[in-house]
Amino acid sequence: MNTQRIETDVLVIGGGLGGCMAAMAAARRGARVTVMEKSHVDRSGAAGSGNDHFWHWNPEIHPGRGWTVEKMVRDISWDGPYGALSGGAIDQQLTEVVASESYARVKDLESIGVNFRFDKIYPWNLQYEAHPGENRFRIIPQFQSEWDTLNYEGRDIKPKLAAELRRLGATILNRYMATRILCHVGAASGAVGVNQRTGDAVVVVAPSVVLASGMDLSRLYRSPSGDWFNSQRPPMITGDGEAMALRAGAEVFIRPPWRTRSIGLQHFKGLYRSSGAATTSYPAGRIVNAEGDTIIEHPASREPMRVRREALERSVAEGKTPIYLDMTRAPEEEIAYAEWSYGHEGLCWVMLEAMRDLGVDFRKDRLELEVEETGRLMGGRLGVWISPETETSLPGLYAASPVQPAGEVSAPIPVVLGYRAGDRAAANAEGKTPSVDEAEIEAELHRIAAPLECTEGSDWREMNIALNDATEDLKRLFCGFNPPPAKDAVGKQGLQTVRERLATLRKTPIVAADPHELIRALEVLNLIEVADTITEAALDPRVTEPEAWFLGKRSSGATVFRSTPITYKYPKEVG
Amino acid sequence: MPPRIDAKTCTRCGRCVEVCPLDVLRMVDGAPAAVYAGECWHCGACAMECPSGALRVELPLHMHPVVRRVKP
Ligand SMILES: Cc1cc2nc3c(=O)[nH]c(=O)nc-3n(C[C@H](O)[C@H](O)[C@H](O)COP(=O)(O)OP(=O)(O)OC[C@H]3O[C@@H](n4cnc5c(N)ncnc54)[C@H](O)[C@@H]3O)c2cc1C
Ligand code: SF4
Ligand code: SF4
Repeated sequence: MNTQRIETDVLVIGGGLGGCMAAMAAARRGARVTVMEKSHVDRSGAAGSGNDHFWHWNPEIHPGRGWTVEKMVRDISWDGPYGALSGGAIDQQLTEVVASESYARVKDLESIGVNFRFDKIYPWNLQYEAHPGENRFRIIPQFQSEWDTLNYEGRDIKPKLAAELRRLGATILNRYMATRILCHVGAASGAVGVNQRTGDAVVVVAPSVVLASGMDLSRLYRSPSGDWFNSQRPPMITGDGEAMALRAGAEVFIRPPWRTRSIGLQHFKGLYRSSGAATTSYPAGRIVNAEGDTIIEHPASREPMRVRREALERSVAEGKTPIYLDMTRAPEEEIAYAEWSYGHEGLCWVMLEAMRDLGVDFRKDRLELEVEETGRLMGGRLGVWISPETETSLPGLYAASPVQPAGEVSAPIPVVLGYRAGDRAAANAEGKTPSVDEAEIEAELHRIAAPLECTEGSDWREMNIALNDATEDLKRLFCGFNPPPAKDAVGKQGLQTVRERLATLRKTPIVAADPHELIRALEVLNLIEVADTITEAALDPRVTEPEAWFLGKRSSGATVFRSTPITYKYPKEVG
Repeated sequence: MPPRIDAKTCTRCGRCVEVCPLDVLRMVDGAPAAVYAGECWHCGACAMECPSGALRVELPLHMHPVVRRVKP
């Protein structure tokens, strides 16, 4: 493998929203910044084709309405529509950071040309007084009890961030997948990566590393659509950060698989574009049943989740299905507004184009929604465990995504935490020269070259299907324990068998015909590692302890688990 | 379904190949081609970046929305 070596102050792994914000913050502090990005920063990550909404706490608008950061954190943890979903499994300190700093980050995004303010706002936006001569935000309600979500023109948020990074002089390594976070004398010291086009390797030596590789575990579980690439979540975000954090010995948060307790609507039938079926359709979209009765006034409205769920359950019980997103009765101005949002929301611009080709029109057609029944099995996940300062348990390693829950997984979290992580990472790097372990680098270069050199073995697809067979069993066996916590001997044996199957996969040689397939192969290997850690955690009876975080950390080859109580700065108010 | 590229308007600038997040597209004999078509996310990044409007993303059959027409 051709290998290039680069020295930098701050290495950012992943140039999505979080990674770009981290690089921006670090560069503003004067640090030399390198971004390692698996795709191309201009259009990479979950927001590569855009974003149209951003929840925030606004110091110029919200205090006058009696809405404080504390209220927002309480709402997200307990009281509000999102609180009803999260049930308090939220890191309130992180959520408070995200809320407090969200407006400052909106201003950063405005400063690079992302348009958040308009000369025209509509009756369905929050009406408020702006400073004289200043355009106003288009604010809509979403998952919180207050109007806090900005509708904005985010289709080009990624190319604009990328241009800013170039302006700030950051080194951008496009098409390099990071495969290992280097660690020497107890601290992060850089990373190894490999190029999807050339197969060349890169070693980046840095005293500070920011992990911003995204929150998704795509391809870890079987795709409900039967096509891994027909997915809301980016198919190339495959648990690399989670697996690298484990290998580097950083502590992670683990959530085991679970079963949904209510019926749900997530996306259009066939087309996995969840926001398109919810927030983005505001204010024109309604949820209607087969008889055309409105069952949910607006999919992103502030009606309590319970009321919406019950309405949906009633229609399903009465056989009034399918369920649709319906704009046909909305005034033209509302439909035009929704279409403006679709034009900026990720994956939805393509949907509009395709609708035009197929002769589908929101004005005439109801779009069928997938009804997801109660008791669906949901996969477990991992996130790096960070402090409110974004430090991980490994000195020199900071993380913005994946991390523990800080509210609904959406852009404000990586945007705020990414900026913080970049800032703290730059401060940490000052005056430091890292040292690397050459043997560790050699071993990693050898590991990542192996699939290209291997002539007999399984390719990534075969391995990925076998992995999905095992992870589907993991979900069934774990959630089959009745009641949790897990004491069921059959289930335990089953989970142990899952681990054995995963161990067999790990021992099976994986082949890659070219550097493109090499990346897919390394992704699957990461997913297998993540699956094994979730399965191992599932075997620990403490994993289902209520009101506790379940954490794990690799230490000399074994994973050490612990459970720690969730501490609440703002506990649930009774009465 | 891979993106449809109009060979007549395509200037072979390579921008779509540069940005495709799934590495579906590559330059083959100087022109963009969907070499890993089965891995397309149908995200539209390529079409958004194409300076000459030569590229269209079409949804495969299993991604077509299921609709009920209620107005003529
Ligand atoms: C279609 C869609 C629409 C959305 N719309 C909204 C919205 O309107 N509002 C909202 O608030 N949220 C929205 N979200 C969610 C929001 O976009 C994400 O929460 C946010 O972009 C995540 O940022 P991130 O930095 O955590 O990850 P990402 O932006 O996904 O970035 C992760 C980056 O890391 C790279 N990477 C991964 N692994 C490696 C590796 N091993 N080496 C190098 N690089 C790597 C990836 O290529 C990617 O660029 C949407 C999500 C999707 C998918
Ligand atoms: S739609 Fe997205 S994934 Fe498909 S070829 Fe275009 S840029 Fe690549
Ligand atoms: S971006 Fe457009 S013009 Fe350029 S190579 Fe691709 S299809 Fe052709």
